[in-house]
Amino acid sequence: MAGKAALVLVIGFMILLGYVSRDLSVIAGRAQGNMSTYAAATESHNLAITGANAGLARLYQDTSWRGSRTQELSGAADRSFTYTVSTGANGRPFLRSVSLVRGPFETLGDTVEVEFGAQTLQTFTLFAWMTNFEGNIFWITGDTVWGRVHSNSLMHVNGQPVFMEKVTTAKSFDPKPGVGQNKAIFKNGYETGVAPIKFPDDLSQISAAAASGGRLYAGDVTVELKGGTAASGDGYVEVYSGATKIDSFEINSATFNGALGATGRVSVSGVVDGKISIFSTTNVYVLDDITYENKTTASDDVLGLISEADVTIADSPGNKTNVNIDGSIFCRSGSLKAENYNSGSPRGVFNMFGSIVQDTRGAVGTFSGSTLKTGYYKRYRYDERLSEPSFRPPWYPGFYTTTFAISCWWESVHIPKFN
Amino acid sequence: MQYILDYVAAAILGAALLLIILNANDTSAESHSLYNGDALVQEILVQTVFLLEGELRNMGVGVPENQGCILRADTSTIWFLYDIDRNAIPDTVRYYSGSVDEFAPTPNELDRPLYRKVNSEKSLVVGSVTIFRFRYLTRLGQALSTPVVAGQLSEIHSVEITMEVQNPYAMSRSEKQVGAGERNALYSSSIWQQTRLASQNNRR
Repeated sequence: MAGKAALVLVIGFMILLGYVSRDLSVIAGRAQGNMSTYAAATESHNLAITGANAGLARLYQDTSWRGSRTQELSGAADRSFTYTVSTGANGRPFLRSVSLVRGPFETLGDTVEVEFGAQTLQTFTLFAWMTNFEGNIFWITGDTVWGRVHSNSLMHVNGQPVFMEKVTTAKSFDPKPGVGQNKAIFKNGYETGVAPIKFPDDLSQISAAAASGGRLYAGDVTVELKGGTAASGDGYVEVYSGATKIDSFEINSATFNGALGATGRVSVSGVVDGKISIFSTTNVYVLDDITYENKTTASDDVLGLISEADVTIADSPGNKTNVNIDGSIFCRSGSLKAENYNSGSPRGVFNMFGSIVQDTRGAVGTFSGSTLKTGYYKRYRYDERLSEPSFRPPWYPGFYTTTFAISCWWESVHIPKFN
Repeated sequence: MQYILDYVAAAILGAALLLIILNANDTSAESHSLYNGDALVQEILVQTVFLLEGELRNMGVGVPENQGCILRADTSTIWFLYDIDRNAIPDTVRYYSGSVDEFAPTPNELDRPLYRKVNSEKSLVVGSVTIFRFRYLTRLGQALSTPVVAGQLSEIHSVEITMEVQNPYAMSRSEKQVGAGERNALYSSSIWQQTRLASQNNRR
């Protein structure tokens, strides 16, 4: 009797412990399954991103390449990604990367799609500031730039300049942002290592326009811009060779296409009422203030000062106390600079309203700390109207982006299903 | 007499064994509840995080490049633009946590709903959280004070998400198991922190 009872007892214990053991092993197995599912979901997502980056690298090597590549992870045939570059309906490349991960319970796949912006002709006036070479000039505390900034070279920073719009550079920053003395504030971010923006090889386009429908003069000329009455649209131009007036015409004349230039030095001053670009195949000199008659956002007054070499603020009587320039400055192979910037008495403030694009960053003054010793203080303000690509001075130089910029990056959202 | 002694001994032994069995069953049930609760909470957390992170990574999809994609950013709410259905019309997506009162019926007094709202549609509960917090960082890794003012929204480069999920149902503990400042009830909990979540579309 006692032996039978003991047997029943042992069997009862076995059933009970077996139940407990099964219960715990189910939970342990579920925990392991969850971990595997999570790992597979994460792996699938990361593989799709890896494929997108591999596809981008392939596309940027050759922007005309179209095709598909599948790559398996080394030693893991059940893990792969496939990227495909095709031409989208908009004519631009379209990249899709799809991952494949055979997980413990299901096969997973994630997708990343990348769209690209158009290679359209951009105008240099999109930049408040642009240089090919920054030289050894530093951005310092007190410098504030409203509008986009780009340089094809290394940008030196020492202090806390403020960039209100995005800053891009084909190289990098010296030192890197947040390191050492680079305490720059980027209100709209920055990007390094972008494709360089190529300057035009010459000014032939605006020269041709001036020769056909505009005004093209031989030798040195002086251009006086006249605002006319307070009414909009009645501005005119007087052109002098030495002291002799050689031409006079209305800016908005139907026989003038907006391009005025000379094969020699062009000296400019006055009030702009209308749309005009003034260029020189040598240098442009600013003799005195150049201002818009109407400086509101509703104004259509716009000026381009375009030079093969330098745009120079002349050391002239009109510029001895402050100088104001409203317009967009483009120096193809030279700089925007002040004549005799490092000698004489301080000349006040150089107020710039528009856009500055130059090959090499030029100097307009010298400082002792933040105190002006010679030349000018700088006050540069971007003309927000220029941020609209269709609004620019007539025949103003432009550029094509050399690579396709990413306009959209989409990743599939995959929510793991647990058992 | 001998039989009586056998019966008494068997009764004592049987009672002892019964107590052991009951205790084992109790411990087994407690462990089961605890581990099951932990697993459940982690699953909920991971699913919520995958949804949230996935959408935050897609911030700015379908939004013109000259337009900001974060509309409002605060400690427990974020509004951003994202063309969910890829129909060239950006949708406004909002994530925010509700109040604990909204989950008053659950025994856990700290949990509250996590809502997802698209455009003007009705808000949907996509999770239950006890902690839900955003931090917004610039490219230099500096934290922006919240709520982020309109002029600084474009400075947001990455988002830090901190989230905790607790089981709505608790296991009671005896007085001696409760430490100073702890609740009597033991809730399975799981915490997640994503320290640097940046949308690729912010690089444009």
